[in-house]
Amino acid sequence: MARMNATAKGGAARKRPNNGIWFRLRQQWMLQVFALMGVAFMILFSYIPMVGIVLAFNNFKPKLGLAGFFTSPWVGFKWFREFLFDRQFWPIFRNTIVLSLLKLAFSFPIPILFALTLNEMRMRKVKRVIQTVSYLPHFISWVIVHGILVSFLNSSNGVVNTALKQLGLIDKSIPFLSSPDYFWGVAVISDIWKEMGWWAIIFLAAIAGVDVTMYEAAIVDGATRMQRILHITLPAIRPTIMVVLIMSLGNLLGGGLGGSNFEQAYLLGNSSNYAKSEVLQAYTLRVGLENGRFSYAAAVSLMQSLISVFLVVTSNFVSVKLTDSGLF
Amino acid sequence: MPDTFLKRKNRIRRTAEDNVISVIIFVVMALVFILTVYPFYYCFILSFNEGINASIGGIYFWPRKFTLENYEQVFSNKQLIPAFGVSVMRTIVGTLLSVTFTGMVAFAVSHKYLIGRTLYTNMMIVAMYFGGGMIPYFILIKNLGLYNTFWVYIIPALFSIWNCILMMNFFRSIPDALEESARIDGANDLVIFFRIIVPVSMPIIATIMLFNGVGHWNDWYTTAFYTRDKGLRTASFILKELISKANLTSITGADNTSTAARAADAAAQNYTAESLRMATMIVVVVPIICVYPFLQKYFVKGVMVGSIKG
Repeated sequence: MARMNATAKGGAARKRPNNGIWFRLRQQWMLQVFALMGVAFMILFSYIPMVGIVLAFNNFKPKLGLAGFFTSPWVGFKWFREFLFDRQFWPIFRNTIVLSLLKLAFSFPIPILFALTLNEMRMRKVKRVIQTVSYLPHFISWVIVHGILVSFLNSSNGVVNTALKQLGLIDKSIPFLSSPDYFWGVAVISDIWKEMGWWAIIFLAAIAGVDVTMYEAAIVDGATRMQRILHITLPAIRPTIMVVLIMSLGNLLGGGLGGSNFEQAYLLGNSSNYAKSEVLQAYTLRVGLENGRFSYAAAVSLMQSLISVFLVVTSNFVSVKLTDSGLF
Repeated sequence: MPDTFLKRKNRIRRTAEDNVISVIIFVVMALVFILTVYPFYYCFILSFNEGINASIGGIYFWPRKFTLENYEQVFSNKQLIPAFGVSVMRTIVGTLLSVTFTGMVAFAVSHKYLIGRTLYTNMMIVAMYFGGGMIPYFILIKNLGLYNTFWVYIIPALFSIWNCILMMNFFRSIPDALEESARIDGANDLVIFFRIIVPVSMPIIATIMLFNGVGHWNDWYTTAFYTRDKGLRTASFILKELISKANLTSITGADNTSTAARAADAAAQNYTAESLRMATMIVVVVPIICVYPFLQKYFVKGVMVGSIKG
């Protein structure tokens, strides 16, 4: 704008094409159209639903349409109170937190270990094959993983139970899928199985970027292989580890990196392991979309977002206290 | 590459510790390989085995009674064939439109001189970290009239912020001169995008197409909650229903009795719910297995760029 004013003052400058905002807009109108397509999309599919969070505080009437976000009768914190005093609240809350923390404790560090181990492998061809194969489960849906789990773990003719019986290790089938006792284990292990190879990509790339001369110097100094991993590779990829940690903390209650809490609960969960399998997201969907209690479900969903923010802030605080480094 | 150096060096001085570590690594990696591949292999052999015969169990390494019947059943199933049609349609149409739409937005926003660029990128970042959750979203879909139409598969998936950021990072690495010379020759932005940018951006486009295509192919959620008509069912959704049913029957133990009963009254029929499920799973998985290894070198780069800059 300042520039346009300056050119407008100088009489001779008027003959030259000026660089004013309208002129520039006219020049780049087609690019603006492209960008505004994205903006329109985001307003429609991201920002309107964001505004829709208000329905957690009112009694939404579906027949009012989108305007019903605001015109439905206001009820304050009614739905929050109802959920907090529901007897399902505690198990669902506990399952969400425990599963998320278990995944953070296992699904996050194991790809790092896998990347370090794979990097130490000498046979290049074998290494490549293993890496390619390790990506496969990431591209497969949880539906397929569920199918595999059913055929491996079911108690009538599942591979694991049949094999254990043939080996004489057990007499009675272990109800992996139909007992609440096994759900957390099955969920965490299948999550690791599915996403380990995928997240190792980032760490392998970081390892490949480590300065070779550091290893050369370490070998000259007589460092063993273990020492090279611990004192060169690990410190070198620490920034990458932090980035991935931030990403998995950001989606902590969704199930971390793989974001698998909902699909596991919805697909693997059933009437017999419900006590340990139900999580906030799946509950939101069941009461909201299946039972049509929109406002109540929106309140549950908003609570999950709030707990999520609380957890990220707390873990950041702990991280700053302990290691002097945090996300913000 | 550090390992080329190590390899050369260690040929001269390989310590006992080195050898022990190598053996351990080899064993661990072999285990990872088996644990990853065997589940797929198991489903594969079971899909080629007669269902009744397989229900006794004890098949581990190869089919005991080879048959193609399971696949014949899958490919003549009145529910599955149209479902595969819907899956293929939404994967092709959805992926092409989404890559084009997201690519055009990314192309525009990747220009430093674009007016309002900061606003546009900030809008993306906010929308990436915050959302309204599934309930307001569902109400929106219903009110837009997308509910229970084929377009519910396509339109809400047109734009992906994550993919947009990946593409923007790539477009920024393209030399400006390429675009400018086309502009001097009188090409407009649309022509520049399709004739200049798209051809030189094939690595990132291939990556995004893979992510998008896999997402469309695997999605059962949209079918389950945003459609009602049987004609809109996708293969992934039907598979999900088959597997959930199997999960339930395996709890009550009804699976065994029903297969036995069916074996008794219809000796001509050798397939079971399980063998059909296996064949369907293989049919759903095979396209993915055939595509992703060839795009490996592209998506490895894509994931890296995205995670470091995103």
